[in-house]
Amino acid sequence: MEPVISYIGLSALLFTIGGIGLCLRRNAIVLFMCVEMMLNAVNLAFVTFSKLVGNLDGQVAVFFVMVIAAAESAIGLAIILSVFRSVASIETTDSAELKW
Amino acid sequence: MSFIGFVLSAVAVASALGVVIFRNPLTSAFSLIINLLAMAGLYAAMGAHFLAVTQVVVYAGAIMVLVLFVLMLLNLKFESKRRFGIFRTAVAVAAGVLMFATIVPPIMAHFDTLSTFTLSENMTKSEGSVKAIGTELYGRYMVQFELSSLVLLIGVVGAVMLAKRKTSQIGPRDGAAGGAQ
Repeated sequence: MEPVISYIGLSALLFTIGGIGLCLRRNAIVLFMCVEMMLNAVNLAFVTFSKLVGNLDGQVAVFFVMVIAAAESAIGLAIILSVFRSVASIETTDSAELKW
Repeated sequence: MSFIGFVLSAVAVASALGVVIFRNPLTSAFSLIINLLAMAGLYAAMGAHFLAVTQVVVYAGAIMVLVLFVLMLLNLKFESKRRFGIFRTAVAVAAGVLMFATIVPPIMAHFDTLSTFTLSENMTKSEGSVKAIGTELYGRYMVQFELSSLVLLIGVVGAVMLAKRKTSQIGPRDGAAGGAQ
């Protein structure tokens, strides 16, 4: 087995890639997918430390993160749909009504 | 075992970069599905079997199908032709480097511990089988588990309410469709 540091490093790397995507992209759905990716990176760290410490609390936390992510995706995509209905675009730069 | 972990990690990083880089949202979505499946493989290799199955069923199954449905429903005929500007890319990468630099020092403080421990040593004590996770969920985490079902119910009701609302109820907007043409 690999040492624990490789999993933690992978988790940090995936979190960073998700953050870069969040800064870079303009498509609302791609932003949503980047957030999902960052949640997954944190989940990997949770599982790794759960295995390292030797109890199951981390894996239960991952389960709850998945539940929240499911609820969040349902509501988030509904919000994206209603934004698309009123602005006719899901590019974040097109819905800039509040921009001064 | 180590080889499998290496391959899955490489696939996860490559597909994560694909989500960010690919111009077409559909390609990004499929790249994310590959990423989620690779993570599920990593969970399985680490002995978290319940989470591996849940990852495939909930994330790669339910959530990504929802994303693909929305992409199909929106029917975006035009791709975003606007390139990522060099300034925007530089700022994004700088923000990413800053974020990474914030995460790394706490890890490096415990580098010796983390690099000597391997996961197989504590494997038997924290085997994430369905039985073990279920005992935890219906034991110590009973209240939180029931509350999570309430969260899902509220999520479903809220999603239906948001999606069924007519545009006229939100209020007419001047030049609302201007962005499309």
